[in-house]
Amino acid sequence: MAAVTMVQAINMALARAMAEDPQVVVLGEDVGRDGGVFRATEGLLDRFGADRVFDTPLAEAAIAGVAVGLAAQGFRPVAEIQFSGFIYPALDQMISHAARMRNRTRGRLTCPMVLRAPNGGGIRAAELHSESPEALFAHVPGLRVALPSSPERAYRLLLAAIRDPDPVVFLEPTRLYRAGSEDVADDGKAAPLDRAFVLRPGEDLTLVAWGGVVPMALAAAERLAEEGISAEVVDMAWLKPLDTATLIESVARTGRCVIAQEAARSGGVGAEIAARLAERVLDRLAAPIERVAAYDAVLPYPRLEAHCLPSETRLLAAARRAMGRA
Amino acid sequence: MSALFALPDLGEGLAEAEIVAWHVAAGDHVVADQPLVSVETDKAVVEIPSPRSGRIAKLHAERGVRLKVGAALVEFAEGEGRDAGAVVGELPTAPPAAPRPKPITQARPMAEPLAGVRRAMAANMRRSGDEVVPATVLEDADIGDWAATEDVTVRLIRAVAAAVAASPALNVWYDSARQERRLHQKLDLGIAVDTEDGLIVPVMRDVGRRDAADLRRGLDRLIADVRARKVPLAELRDPTLTLSNFGMMAGRYAALSIVPPQVAILGAGRTREEVRAREGAAAVRRVLPLSLTFDHRVVSGGEAARFLSAALTDLERAR
Amino acid sequence: MAQSTDALIGLYRAMCLTRAFDAKAIALQRTGRLGTFASSLGQEAVSVGVAAAMRPEDVLLPSFRDHGAMLWRGVDMAESLLYWGGDERGSDFAGPRQDFPVSVPVGTHAPHAAGVALAFKLRREPRVAVCLFGDGATSKGDVAEALNIAGVWRLPAVFVVCNNRWAISTPVERQTAAETLARKADAAGMPGERIDGNDVELVVETAARALARARDGQGPSLIEALTYRMGDHTTADDARRYRDDAEVSRQWAQDPIARTRRRLVDLGAWGKAQEEGMLAEHAAAIERAVERYAATPAQPPVTLFDYTYANLPAELAEQRAAFRPEDA
Repeated sequence: MAAVTMVQAINMALARAMAEDPQVVVLGEDVGRDGGVFRATEGLLDRFGADRVFDTPLAEAAIAGVAVGLAAQGFRPVAEIQFSGFIYPALDQMISHAARMRNRTRGRLTCPMVLRAPNGGGIRAAELHSESPEALFAHVPGLRVALPSSPERAYRLLLAAIRDPDPVVFLEPTRLYRAGSEDVADDGKAAPLDRAFVLRPGEDLTLVAWGGVVPMALAAAERLAEEGISAEVVDMAWLKPLDTATLIESVARTGRCVIAQEAARSGGVGAEIAARLAERVLDRLAAPIERVAAYDAVLPYPRLEAHCLPSETRLLAAARRAMGRA
Repeated sequence: MSALFALPDLGEGLAEAEIVAWHVAAGDHVVADQPLVSVETDKAVVEIPSPRSGRIAKLHAERGVRLKVGAALVEFAEGEGRDAGAVVGELPTAPPAAPRPKPITQARPMAEPLAGVRRAMAANMRRSGDEVVPATVLEDADIGDWAATEDVTVRLIRAVAAAVAASPALNVWYDSARQERRLHQKLDLGIAVDTEDGLIVPVMRDVGRRDAADLRRGLDRLIADVRARKVPLAELRDPTLTLSNFGMMAGRYAALSIVPPQVAILGAGRTREEVRAREGAAAVRRVLPLSLTFDHRVVSGGEAARFLSAALTDLERAR
Repeated sequence: MAQSTDALIGLYRAMCLTRAFDAKAIALQRTGRLGTFASSLGQEAVSVGVAAAMRPEDVLLPSFRDHGAMLWRGVDMAESLLYWGGDERGSDFAGPRQDFPVSVPVGTHAPHAAGVALAFKLRREPRVAVCLFGDGATSKGDVAEALNIAGVWRLPAVFVVCNNRWAISTPVERQTAAETLARKADAAGMPGERIDGNDVELVVETAARALARARDGQGPSLIEALTYRMGDHTTADDARRYRDDAEVSRQWAQDPIARTRRRLVDLGAWGKAQEEGMLAEHAAAIERAVERYAATPAQPPVTLFDYTYANLPAELAEQRAAFRPEDA
């Protein structure tokens, strides 16, 4: 067992899945010879050969569409989209076909594919390299959407996604690719489907987060503890379907909820979470549900980006508000 | 083109054929040469193409039926089909609103907005009232010397033509904004006609140069068009002067309205018999009352009087 | 290379069945028993010809106007009616289990064909993916991307452009400035050929050559088959709004079915008795299919939940549990 970064954990999961199942293939731009621009697919071409790892032309719609065709024929393609903002041309294939193939043919043809892409900002990159489009996919029946927040969860969630018989959009927080390492056992065990992780137990308030803001939520919980506030941190991990049961159990107990999302506030997954909590545990809420998210402005270029994205300061302020403190 | 298409002559002395298969159905739009039906003759199965484009209203024979050459095969529909406006799927449309039942008692008559001819009349008379400064001169024409069968309207038209010849100042258009008169060479006479729909004024062109027979023919056509509600738009435009034979029903004299840019209108009331002084003695004579209304902004009393006098002279001639 | 007489008869019969089925579908739509339907009137030779050149183990990816191909491949007429009648079970083909269902968003199935062909190549199977789409589809990015990737990866695929000259109301001259649609193959580095799509024998011959190339590992090709959309775009379209009847009339002279019939008659291989017999058989088969379709009970409404995922997630299971059909 070695300490690995998230991107290395992803690489491990891919290699493990490809070794176990000859139907798993990897395709995308620069995934072969170059090992992926973030090195997520490093070494796979050498290890598994050109019949398992394909460098595609520059064509995101085709990358997703070819994956649909492969999946219908029984393969388990893991297609990579190189940068977050370039996932948009693949939306049509995911929504119009990947999400629907099973339903459209009453199960005769299915789509066990994974579309993975970097996600989120904080990496000082050009426009459209810091997108958080998770809500677009989370709104589509027939898809699953998952985001890891640590190397180990990345390994296990990706294995779950590859093994799932239905299409999964796997969004990897770019800012966490190399942000730290931990020991991950390459044991081939997948995370359970559709289940959130309670990363830190607490009694006073539930901090809900996913992807790139999870470390921020954990850091905030530490600070809050110093102030005598015991914050439970829940990493949703699956944005579709949402693990409502874990959410309800937590917030019913704590009575307070702060949702942290990197994506823009309005129409984001946080809104869905807040709605479900309002439906189920309204009577247990001691304070209104708080959402800390990016503002609804076009995401700025790097110089101003940090001002738009949620920060620990804003997160702490929201937590204190929920606790009824200034 | 007839809507019915019959089984055509298939040649080779064949007198009938059996319907084997229809390739179109009622409601289909077909184009010329499109195969309609396969029929079987003694010799072969033949496809019959459509003779024209159109929508199929009805198929006149079922599969298996033997038809004689010349018997009805297919009927084409008249009129357009409904535009679905969708291309894919069906848009729900609101059903036509059910007619509202009339209330059993009505406190007052239903208000009816003006439309069509009535609306035009209201607008024209408004304009008249706003602009024209009318003055009216009355006279009676002694028509005792007319034959019993004399054509009153034609005589009136002729009289107006004579009056215009004598006093052309009444056959003009006045542009009050520019304060300009436009003198007309021709007399295009508007003939006011009362119809079920209201007042309409078709125009007889260049009446000054037409003989009585031609005027009669023109009038007849005009009346027929009016009755059929088919007066062409061109014939309602631009009269230079108007004649109103309102006396057909009742009324002796009237101060009629002049519709700008005209400057005069001659009204003829109901003919009557009355006792008149004639060469020093009382005589019963038939008279035809005349009312000349003119726009005093642009026609003088003298010009109007000369006009009326000439009309009178012409009307009082035996023929 | 002409077809054998028996083969030609088979093609003729299939085209006639397609047309008769098509007409019946329109009649059903008119009487409220079928949803909006896209007629393939006039294009039967392209569909039937391409399908006839395929092997059973190949995979067809059709557009929404390829009834002739789907019927030849073994899709049941009742299944087709179910699909157009608005029931998903119509795409659960009993016959060609791996063929793709109708693709509605134009041209978006072209990348699927590339994926299917890639699967064949990876598994070293002598099978070919055959993708049918129309002239309008050739303007789509997905089609360009699919042709490109098939070309550069030398995939065993055949792309057939059924150029029926109309994309709803857009004539092909306003669809592209390219001289021919076959030339778009040049951009993808594959051979492209333009043929008379109303000559069913030529269609079969050309498709067979392209399939052989692909099966042989020589890569993909594009066939542009010229034909004409004799009917409206769909039963909810009225082509007279944008197209002249006189133009359509002229095209009847090229009717693929009439041409094939004349050829068969000239060969002495077809006559009145056979024509009648065929028409009667087809009418009966279509009637039986309509009966099967009409007799198919509707899916229980609750099944709308059951194919969204392989295993129902908890949140969807909750919705399913609370579902009541009478709420609609």
